[in-house]
Amino acid sequence: MKPVTRRRVLIGLGSGAGLLVVGVPLALNAGRPAIVDYIEENGTGPQDAPRNPDLWFEVTPAGVTFFVPKIEMGQGIHTALAQIAAEELEVTPEQLTVRQADTARGYAGGTMFTFGSTSVKALYRPLREAAATLRELLREEAARQLGVPATRLTAAGGSFFVAGSRERIGYAQVVAGKQGEWVIPEATPALKARREFKRIGRAMPRTDFRDKVLGTATYGYDARLPGMLFGAVARPPRFGARLVSASAGAAGRQPGVVRVVIDAGAGFAGVVARTRTQARAALPSLDLRWEGGTTASSADLDAQIQAGSGSVLRRRGNVRAALSGGTVVQGEYRTPLAAHAHLEPLAALADVKAGGRIEVWASTQYPQMVIDDLRDVFGKDREVLVHPTQLGGGFGRKAGQHAALEAARLSAAVGKPVHVGWTREEDLQHAFYRPPTHHVLRGSVDPDGRLRGVEQFTAGGDIIWGQTGIPEFVRDALGFDPGGLLGQFMPYDFPAYRVVNRREALPVPTGYWRGLGVLPNTFALESFMDELAHAAGADPLAFRLQHLGSGEDGRRLRGVLERAAQAAGWGTPLPAGRARGVACCLDLGTASALVAEVSVQEGRVQVHRVTVAVDPGLVINPDGARLQAQGSVMMALSSALHEELTIQDGRVVESNFDRYRLLPMRDAPPVEVLLVESGDEPQGMGEPVMGPAAAAVANAVFTLTGERLRTLPLRPGQG
Amino acid sequence: MQLSVNGRRREVAYPDELLVWVLRDELGLTGTHYGCGIGACGSCTVLLDGQVARACLTPARAAAGREVTTVEGLAHGEQLHPVQRAFLENPLQCGWCLPGHLMSAAALLERTPNPTDAQIKEAAGVNLCRCGGYNAIRRAVARAAELKREDG
Ligand code: FES
Ligand code: FES
Repeated sequence: MKPVTRRRVLIGLGSGAGLLVVGVPLALNAGRPAIVDYIEENGTGPQDAPRNPDLWFEVTPAGVTFFVPKIEMGQGIHTALAQIAAEELEVTPEQLTVRQADTARGYAGGTMFTFGSTSVKALYRPLREAAATLRELLREEAARQLGVPATRLTAAGGSFFVAGSRERIGYAQVVAGKQGEWVIPEATPALKARREFKRIGRAMPRTDFRDKVLGTATYGYDARLPGMLFGAVARPPRFGARLVSASAGAAGRQPGVVRVVIDAGAGFAGVVARTRTQARAALPSLDLRWEGGTTASSADLDAQIQAGSGSVLRRRGNVRAALSGGTVVQGEYRTPLAAHAHLEPLAALADVKAGGRIEVWASTQYPQMVIDDLRDVFGKDREVLVHPTQLGGGFGRKAGQHAALEAARLSAAVGKPVHVGWTREEDLQHAFYRPPTHHVLRGSVDPDGRLRGVEQFTAGGDIIWGQTGIPEFVRDALGFDPGGLLGQFMPYDFPAYRVVNRREALPVPTGYWRGLGVLPNTFALESFMDELAHAAGADPLAFRLQHLGSGEDGRRLRGVLERAAQAAGWGTPLPAGRARGVACCLDLGTASALVAEVSVQEGRVQVHRVTVAVDPGLVINPDGARLQAQGSVMMALSSALHEELTIQDGRVVESNFDRYRLLPMRDAPPVEVLLVESGDEPQGMGEPVMGPAAAAVANAVFTLTGERLRTLPLRPGQG
Repeated sequence: MQLSVNGRRREVAYPDELLVWVLRDELGLTGTHYGCGIGACGSCTVLLDGQVARACLTPARAAAGREVTTVEGLAHGEQLHPVQRAFLENPLQCGWCLPGHLMSAAALLERTPNPTDAQIKEAAGVNLCRCGGYNAIRRAVARAAELKREDG
């Protein structure tokens, strides 16, 4: 790939007639409509094919193809972005072919990074602008070809219709008949008003799912090339262990082994074989000596994660005075180390041409990281082409994975394409994890049931700092990890509040996990809010509503709380042995409130029914939004009820799903999702709903049994 | 050794390897997924003579002389199997678990054309869905039973 330039080019004409390529680099942070900026910056007219575009369209006689710059990991992003594009393009879903952008048709260093529930939010406006601009380009040209004023043309269903006549011309025909230069409209075309939407806000068939039911979708683990071989890579016995010496040992003589590849300085030892089974079987025959690393255990990590000091993140009112009166409540909460457990383990296929291009197909959320990895090893100027595949789940883990580099090292050594697919054991034991957290809360309520103040201490392992090369002294100077801030603050209105946060670099790798801090923090804060409600002798729902402010946040939280409570029948009688709990959360612009109905049998929590109301501002695809919310609730319940990784002697104990339990079908309750739309802009949908489930369940257990469970996973009767 | 996969005879060079890798890596049938290798996630579920089997626990040799059906063999030409149509109507998220749910459901409907919700849950057994699509899976399997009855 050519060096990254920031030269902004809007239009490229394909070789030969009948192809219009529009690539749109975005200045997403610009205050003005992004599209105006680069048109001004670059002028108009026929130009080179776009480089580093964020958005890429091709119009051919076969129709319009949209190369989606975001990675599909099940969140339905290809579908959501396709319907946003189709809205302004005025094409039907059938007329729009959706393809994953590779790094030649997308800007790996920017928009392709798929994380943090940002995709729809960030692209909602620029994508509509780009699609509208493409439509207007076509309209001008259609008008020229038909010899009518552009104002007489109406776009619909991939064609322009001439007002007052039966004449029409399809987009493909316009492109085929094009002569001369394309003229980019002077100004960004006006975007449709919400009431004019035909696609946004409606259900639309998923663009990725037909291939999935046919078994023909290509995930990273499925990438194949003729003549390919399979690789396996040795892993350290402990976190942080270094490879001090390495030789092939007897590995080279094992059945099917093609090559042993060792770069001890880089800590790399791997095997290429004819089959995956052979490659893995040969690994124990390598002669490797590892040294050092941590011998920490879970108890050591817990001892390191101690809330009580750190950076003051928020201070309002006089907390000391507030806590010196009223009824004082204290609670101390912990959440454990947890795994992503995306069902498709890490995987990549690499084809390294000697001295030439490196091409990889990888299950990655972050193509730029793959490029950086490869260039670090193979040279700064090396041409790299990354094809992101479908992802069998990501949850943040696939934003930081090096399987593509492993496959490339092996491929370079044998001169053939090599695939590396991790085993579940590798995936659980050699990953980075959701860091453990500790929360110490003190609060006080007045005799009249008003919350006087809260003092909050939080500690957690690094999240974003854990996955970036930022030196420890800088992290230390900042004092907190930005990832830990998600869900960090109580969204209620009360006089005195002090929040003190502390981060720790743990000897076990920690990092991004779906929603970052939102699940641990919301578990602690919304459990504590419940404790305060009970101390005030108030109904937990009423207590929350009473403490919401009159601003936008308060209004939206009130909306979802009331909606969920009403649908769940809050306050109505339940069968004996059941209770309800409520919790809410405001995260990444999305408000959610959840009511869980639970029972406890033989020390096990059973969740019978969940009702969750979600307000993401504006919903692009209601079916997709519901799936995201249900999926978040199930994953949060899995954390609430089951998931915990144990560290012993510097290793993860749980190596597979027999010990690391995920929520199974039989424990999955019906989850009713109520969508509330209180805005004109879409907000995050992939993670915010990870927040409220754990606290709602713990709160229900308290109502039922009187036992306050303050540690995840929730284990009644065990403190 | 030969295997009969989705009605075709296929030559297999590594009969002692596990069926999941023979299908995926040798025969190119990547629709059967791997998630755990210990029979604990169901992603690798295939049918052996119509019975569900975990391809990650089954040596390829053990499938010799039996009919292996994978997700790629569910449809008849353009005509999708009712379970496929039902999941198209009730999609999940990433779909890595999907072949397991499709194959388990296909086997369930053969023996139990009108499954109750409890039977649907029971048949899913260990089949996990990390994306949490369990509600959709239950709806899809119930819908598949309807579609299958309509097909006659
Ligand atoms: S891969 Fe076979 S059951 Fe998980
Ligand atoms: S849809 Fe992702 S694991 Fe089921």
